[in-house]
Amino acid sequence: MQNAVQALFKIMPFLFGIGFIAPLIAQTMSYWEWEPPLGLSPIGFGLLIGGPWGLYATWRGRWL
Amino acid sequence: MAVTEGQGATDAIFFREGLVETPARGDAPAIPLTGDASLDKHIRVALLKEEREIARRFEGGKMWIYPAFAFTCYAIWLSFFPLAIMGWLNLPLAFVLSTVFAVGGYVTSHEAMHSNIGRPGSKTRWLNEWTGKVSTIIIVFPFSMARLMHLEHHYHCNHPEKDPDYPDRANGPWHAIYKTWLNRQPGVDGSIHIYKRILAEMGTKEAADSLKDTIRLQLIFMAVLFGMAWSGYAIEAALIWWLPRHIGLSYIRFYLSWAPHHPREERGRYTNTRLFKSRLGHIGSIGMETHFIHHLYPGIPSHRTKEAYHALRPVLEKRGVHCPEI
Repeated sequence: MQNAVQALFKIMPFLFGIGFIAPLIAQTMSYWEWEPPLGLSPIGFGLLIGGPWGLYATWRGRWL
Repeated sequence: MAVTEGQGATDAIFFREGLVETPARGDAPAIPLTGDASLDKHIRVALLKEEREIARRFEGGKMWIYPAFAFTCYAIWLSFFPLAIMGWLNLPLAFVLSTVFAVGGYVTSHEAMHSNIGRPGSKTRWLNEWTGKVSTIIIVFPFSMARLMHLEHHYHCNHPEKDPDYPDRANGPWHAIYKTWLNRQPGVDGSIHIYKRILAEMGTKEAADSLKDTIRLQLIFMAVLFGMAWSGYAIEAALIWWLPRHIGLSYIRFYLSWAPHHPREERGRYTNTRLFKSRLGHIGSIGMETHFIHHLYPGIPSHRTKEAYHALRPVLEKRGVHCPEI
């Protein structure tokens, strides 16, 4: 159990990227009526940003 | 363990002065009695007695304001979630209020950390504990952890390895603001990593429980954010909880930790905290201009430290403490 929780927190920035940042980007774009590039859907674009950003934070240990 | 809590803090001073023969906790004095080196022991003891007599007048008071504020704000904040989902919420206003509640919550929990609302064994103890518990939910910092870390901060104020707030040390205000963000980054050896190390060193059941509480609250926080975000309420979740938490934590770290302890080099009773004039005033700085008084007498509640400072100022000046106009 402890190991599972530790593993979960280790990848938490990635989960946060796809679990929160991606829909936040998508819904913000829809609110301001911004069109995603390359014919992507808002959530597709959100995942394209949030996923790699979360991975970067997991790898580097910081968001910026 | 709470030597620095309320009356215990002032008693500890007398232990150090040799007025009461009691061994000190740990390998270093929690609040060593220093001050103007030119004063002899007799004068220092006399000044301390005078200081203690004055301080006693300011302990306690209208403590009901803390639970009243904590429970009211928590109830209002909680109501934001269903109201946001139903579309009946003014989001910008809710965002501002949530941020105020996040910062103010730490102030109310701070009183509970020092058992100022209800001492152990008293009739109001439950109120003390619940005030603490509800107050820190917005900042996702469980009361059990907050209390342990804050009391360690009092015991080992400005110790590079033992003071849990030491990572907030910074060269100036802008650096301090940057550090409040940096210390929350997942891989940086910031606050949570220091807390975990200190908890492991403590090795008590209380320490283990507080870590479990932290994990639980973090998971709930993430579950709420993810659940709301994927249900179409990401902006609402960001403005009611996520952003207020981050802004609140930075504000709290800046004013409660960096500003009163800068430059974090001294560890003496009269030198580990400083008195300062804030551009945002006494309320804007959440009463931290006179945080020095709190470190001397944690039993004096936040809303009375300024008043206590004015009364204590002549005695403190005799000791050589720099006392600015506040």
